[in-house]
Amino acid sequence: MMTCKEVSTLISTGGFSDAPLTRRLGVRLHLLMCRHCRAFRRQLEAVARSARAAAAVHETEPSRDFESKIAASLKR
Amino acid sequence: MRDVVQLDAEYLGRLRRRDPDALQSVVDEHGRRLYRAARGMGHSATEAEDLVQDVFVTFIDSVERFEGRSQVGTWLFGILHHKSQERRRAVAREELNDPVDQIFESQFDGRGSWIRTPAAPDRQAGAAQVADAIRACLDGLSPAQRDVFQLREVEELSAADAGKILVLTITHIGVLLHRARTKLRMCLEGKGWGRLR
Repeated sequence: MMTCKEVSTLISTGGFSDAPLTRRLGVRLHLLMCRHCRAFRRQLEAVARSARAAAAVHETEPSRDFESKIAASLKR
Repeated sequence: MRDVVQLDAEYLGRLRRRDPDALQSVVDEHGRRLYRAARGMGHSATEAEDLVQDVFVTFIDSVERFEGRSQVGTWLFGILHHKSQERRRAVAREELNDPVDQIFESQFDGRGSWIRTPAAPDRQAGAAQVADAIRACLDGLSPAQRDVFQLREVEELSAADAGKILVLTITHIGVLLHRARTKLRMCLEGKGWGRLR
């Protein structure tokens, strides 16, 4: 039986899909029985979802005097 | 790729002499596009500005070798990619240990079970509030962690593809993703994530 730490580490590193079949089955079995690890997985999904939503409206413009600062540094 | 300024001999000469108008025009023409690309590569706002400045410095220093065969934009993007990779390798080397590894360990008891159930996200929080919180928390990540999180979780690339872009092994990608996620979870919990459960 895998521990919460083993299961959560495997999920968190993203190594789950590349893990051997027995490991993957171990994770699935553990998740069926463990609400803590299910909560952990939901938490990671929520973090990613929020990051994608935040990125969609991310500020992509540099600071106001960006070009002048760079040009000034080149003239030195 | 839009590239209006072709380097003719006269313009090249002005750049070599560091003619202020020529320098300003090449920065005006390409600066913002390079900045946006650097941000897309996952560099923070400050880093992206630094990186683009570095690109132009290198461009001007090496303009002697530029023969006008490739367009300025292509040449600049080549330098950007190279500089970005250089930084990523430097950062990756620094990260053999990270205190966040101990923080993750401390969340489990002696038998490897969660001590406290991980908090669920706050469903009451508005989207703008969550976006502000996550942006603030992303600034707490190291550049390499941020790069990996961006490619794996925002761009949703595979570990193999992220590894190719960042020149890192899949194992290293996993370590960096795990650290990024742990830091983000801790940071968001600190900002009241899940308080209303």
